[in-house]
Amino acid sequence: MSNIQPVTWQDDPAHFRKPSRREFLYSGLVGGLGLTLGDFFKLRAAEQALSEPLVARAEALIHIYLPGGCAHQETWDPKPFAPIEYRGPLSAIDTAIPGVKFSQYMQNTAKIADRITVVRSMTHGEAAHERGTHNMFTGYRPSPALRFPSMGSVVSHELGSRNNLPPYVCIPNMPNEFAGSGYLSTAHGPFSLGSDPAAAGFAVRDLNMGAGITSERFDRRRDILSTVDEHFRTLEKSDSLTAMDSFYQAAYALVSSKEAREAFNLTAEPDAVRNAYGRNEAGQRMLMARRLVQSGVRFVSLTYGGWDHHAGVAKAMEKQLPSFDQAYAALVKDLDDRGMLDKTLVMVSSEFGRTPKINKDAGRDHWPRVFSVAFAGGGFKRGLVYGSSDPTGGEPDQNPLTVENMAATVFNQLGIQPEKKLMAPGNRPIDIVRNGQVVTDLLA
Amino acid sequence: MILRRLLPLACIALSTGFASPARAAIHPDFEVFPSEVSLFTKAARQGVVVRVTEPNGIHRNVTAEATLTLADPAKAKVDKGVITPLADGETKLKIAWKGRTAEIPVKVAQASADRPVSFRLDVMPIFMKGECNRCHGAARGQDGFRLSLWGFDPEGDHYRVTRELSGRRINLALPEESMLVTKANGDAPHTGGKIFEKNSEYVRTMVRWLEAGAPNDPADLPTLSKVELLPKQLLLESPEQKFPMVVRAHYSDGTTRDVTNLALFLTSNESSAKVSKEGVITTGQRGEAFVMARFGTITVGSQVIVIPKGLKFEWPQQVEANYIDKLVNDKLRNLRITPSELCNDETFLRRAFIDITGTLPSSDEVQKFIAQNEPDKRARKIDELLQRGEFVDMWALKWSELLQIRTGQNVAQGSYKATLAYYNWLHERLKENVPINEIARELIGASGSNIEHPAVNYYQLEQDPLKLAEDTAQAFFGIRIQCSQCHNHPFDRWTMEDYRGFVAFFSQVGRKVGEDPREKIIFNSGGGESKHPVGDRVIPPKFLGGDAPEAKGKDRRALLADWIASPENPYFSKHIANLIWGQYMGRGIVEPVDDVRISNPASNPELLEALGQKLVEYNYDLRRMVRDVCNSRTYQLTTRPNDSNALDERNFAKATVRRMRAEVLLDCISQVTETNDKYRGLPAGARAVQVADGRTTSYFLTTFGRTDREVICAREEVGPTLSQALHLLNGTTVEGKIGQGGVIKKLIDAKKTPKELVSELFLRSFGRFPTESELNRLENHWGVTEQQPQVFHDVFWALLNAKEFMFNH
Repeated sequence: MSNIQPVTWQDDPAHFRKPSRREFLYSGLVGGLGLTLGDFFKLRAAEQALSEPLVARAEALIHIYLPGGCAHQETWDPKPFAPIEYRGPLSAIDTAIPGVKFSQYMQNTAKIADRITVVRSMTHGEAAHERGTHNMFTGYRPSPALRFPSMGSVVSHELGSRNNLPPYVCIPNMPNEFAGSGYLSTAHGPFSLGSDPAAAGFAVRDLNMGAGITSERFDRRRDILSTVDEHFRTLEKSDSLTAMDSFYQAAYALVSSKEAREAFNLTAEPDAVRNAYGRNEAGQRMLMARRLVQSGVRFVSLTYGGWDHHAGVAKAMEKQLPSFDQAYAALVKDLDDRGMLDKTLVMVSSEFGRTPKINKDAGRDHWPRVFSVAFAGGGFKRGLVYGSSDPTGGEPDQNPLTVENMAATVFNQLGIQPEKKLMAPGNRPIDIVRNGQVVTDLLA
Repeated sequence: MILRRLLPLACIALSTGFASPARAAIHPDFEVFPSEVSLFTKAARQGVVVRVTEPNGIHRNVTAEATLTLADPAKAKVDKGVITPLADGETKLKIAWKGRTAEIPVKVAQASADRPVSFRLDVMPIFMKGECNRCHGAARGQDGFRLSLWGFDPEGDHYRVTRELSGRRINLALPEESMLVTKANGDAPHTGGKIFEKNSEYVRTMVRWLEAGAPNDPADLPTLSKVELLPKQLLLESPEQKFPMVVRAHYSDGTTRDVTNLALFLTSNESSAKVSKEGVITTGQRGEAFVMARFGTITVGSQVIVIPKGLKFEWPQQVEANYIDKLVNDKLRNLRITPSELCNDETFLRRAFIDITGTLPSSDEVQKFIAQNEPDKRARKIDELLQRGEFVDMWALKWSELLQIRTGQNVAQGSYKATLAYYNWLHERLKENVPINEIARELIGASGSNIEHPAVNYYQLEQDPLKLAEDTAQAFFGIRIQCSQCHNHPFDRWTMEDYRGFVAFFSQVGRKVGEDPREKIIFNSGGGESKHPVGDRVIPPKFLGGDAPEAKGKDRRALLADWIASPENPYFSKHIANLIWGQYMGRGIVEPVDDVRISNPASNPELLEALGQKLVEYNYDLRRMVRDVCNSRTYQLTTRPNDSNALDERNFAKATVRRMRAEVLLDCISQVTETNDKYRGLPAGARAVQVADGRTTSYFLTTFGRTDREVICAREEVGPTLSQALHLLNGTTVEGKIGQGGVIKKLIDAKKTPKELVSELFLRSFGRFPTESELNRLENHWGVTEQQPQVFHDVFWALLNAKEFMFNH
């Protein structure tokens, strides 16, 4: 069994209270009154020693999150030979990997199973939505003392902006509070599109200069703005000021680059491509994600559907899963056809799986002991099923994958050393991933 | 110096139900903890700690060097600071150290009697000390064994230890072979590892209990009534200074017990003050820590300040405007922090306008104010602002958030008509300066139609008694009792009993529909009970941390309303004072303001206590309280730090830079551009802060963080985002409003010179004149005459995009 640790309130900020960055800052700073430059440089030196550059196998990551806790039995890990109360109402189909079966609603994904890695032994102990979500977004067990940054914010911090685009983008919006910058500066928070790519007339607001503003005039405005900002800048220091500044810089970069803005223009995609992904939320969000990583965004986080199926899991799957299936298979194929798959990691996850037994409402309840996640590209093996759950989908059977190991492997592929320490306020070095091992068996 | 007279620490004391801290003093700088010793039964013991305060305020533990003797050595004996009983009676413990002396009374009772080992009083604390119920307290237990989380269910714990699985966890024939013992002492494999040493007193106590037959406790067992952690306050030097703490338990039968060895110790700041399992503090780097001890269901804490050894510090003499400054400075002196300078007039005026009215001073107002020479001009300005309608709007907004005023998902939940009536009622009350406790009383006790008596909407928007109890505790006391719905609160005093007792006040709310389907009628149904989830017992109404009133045949909500509004209420006045303080200072004394709990202590308990008392003294007059806060020097400090306070964020040694909240920012943009906005149900020109319904919003407000009031939250907290920057740069708000308002054209038509015109824009937006260098640099742009209107437009645009505009500083 994995090293599942006890689950109590202490592991869970949401259950108790949510320390904001601001609060943390203060306790950290008070604790850190003794911070000396010497300490700081020592830490920096330690960081330097670590930061022998890893070879980045993936340049970007698309995180497809299925909020609510997607049933592994009805998707990646069907149990066709289990008794009916475990098996559930759906049937299983063959995939491109002999002997491996997916849910009946994953026809398209089944055909590309030989290009992806499915992990059927993901495990953690957090059975509440917020706790599980925290794990899957930050790679950390929740703590009441520290708000951890999301993986996207860490990537933003480590890899920075490329081609004038924000490094970390959420489609359509920041999905939950754990997708934020945690103890890192809010400057590493995500950029939210603010509207759904599947909506008619979708456009990201305020990307272009206002009507009638020429770029000469925009430049003059910037110049005047820097003049009137200077007095204040020399006098005041605070994290929110610095963060606001960095967002203005990011905005200037975005506004001044036609290519960057074009990344958000979904209508530039041919109809055939848009249709192949599916003209629905799953399809258009994933297509937007591909456009963004293609243009230089480092980390795209998108959500699709609601998977908290305490009742009527079969009907709910019938409604949501086919769109996901079509879009996901299209995305993997599209990236592969463009030669981008090896450099783009696509990760499908959810906060947990669902109970082995079908409940009285024909649904399944929360189950974090074992569930499934899927990876494609970015140096992960093609056509691998990693780990397994037991015959009723209740416990990991082989090769349990912990949150920490998953996070370590993902960061490793992005060229970020999981054991690197980031400076949390209060002179507190925190590992990007604590005690995570890179799982080389997952990697090509 | 200040610590010499031990501060009353009333905040912590009150929140834990304590009287004043124990001490004995002939020399005020020489103290002994506890201040009296009471030994009950043969096994009793009491450790004492002797503390001396040096002239610079630093505390030292001199227990080992001091001479401890008993006046009557036949009654008790003392060894290494621990007193044990010999014979019944009374005597005194005499303490001497370097010419200083003190004495404390010692009482001994039943010195030859053995006290039977009790499951609740002796064994369960061991589970807590060993943190057994941290893992086994999970809802489904751990590795097959379950204990109630933090011991909320003693009966169940006794059953699971002694009877579950046919009693396999205990072996009464060979107590030392019991699984309970062998798992804990490392003899049997245990996922949690070895917890206690084999010959430790924890193991011995468990064995003694097993030898006695693992009895359950009699029904008349004394219960824990309070816990003391001593000393209550420490000023220590960094690094590596050690100080032992003493924990004393008080029981319902009047006995006390030294439970230092059974308490679980925790610290809020490991890097400044570590605390060992035995309760010994070791200092680390400079900073503040709150050291806590948990015993049974009670957690208590002491404040520890750590300053560098040999630090040179001189307190600057300065004017203290009122009691607030005195109490803030008392703390700062202990921390060796110098407050920042007073801010200048322009900054004060802008800050006071934004905080008190949510608007900016006009350019005329700025100029007039700077020109005035009266020494009391700031105080007079504060008084003037407090009389303005906008002051009421700001507090109506604040309270609308706390009360979650919004329309329901449908008419049945809450119609727009009812929402508007609710908001208008609240606004009216605040405008009339109705005391805050009276507003609370009206809300909590409300009955009738939600249209005619809008306060009853409090019971319409939320109908679940559990949620109503939780929201009430959070809105009116800043206390979050949610934890204790399912288990005793881990870091506060609230038990499941307390929770269900508070819920009982909301269990008899009757609801019916009026003639108009939008009209709902709330009444006292007189029926319905709150039940404890363990055993399904009916729990009668009981005030949080207070008494159980005689409620039979009475309207329970009326009883609660009276209790909340009473000046004796220990939470309400302090919470409201803190809410007011937080609103004007940018952070609460308890922060977040709606998370009052023992493990989240006030940064300055004396200040919080004083503000709470003032509020009662002022008959809960909001305006008078705000006046005190804004007139303090502390409020009027500059944001600019000095070397000593640069890293301090919680002791009000400087002002904080705060972004204007979404509604205020939008209103200020509209104000300086002379434009109007239109919101649902309000006339054109109404301001965003006046919007009644939480559901009414706009792209601007949502992007900058307006809350939808779906959940109770004392502060909107949305940091800066790229979307905000893009919207201000390219969006329709700034650009559109500059065009619509036509301010530039008006100024040009008024034949202003370019310098006058630009100065006017600065005054409006920043509340100050441009500097020479700013004017010179801008002049380069407006030099070309034909471009002038456009350049002025762009200057205006730049001012509204500047951080000096967006932030209150």
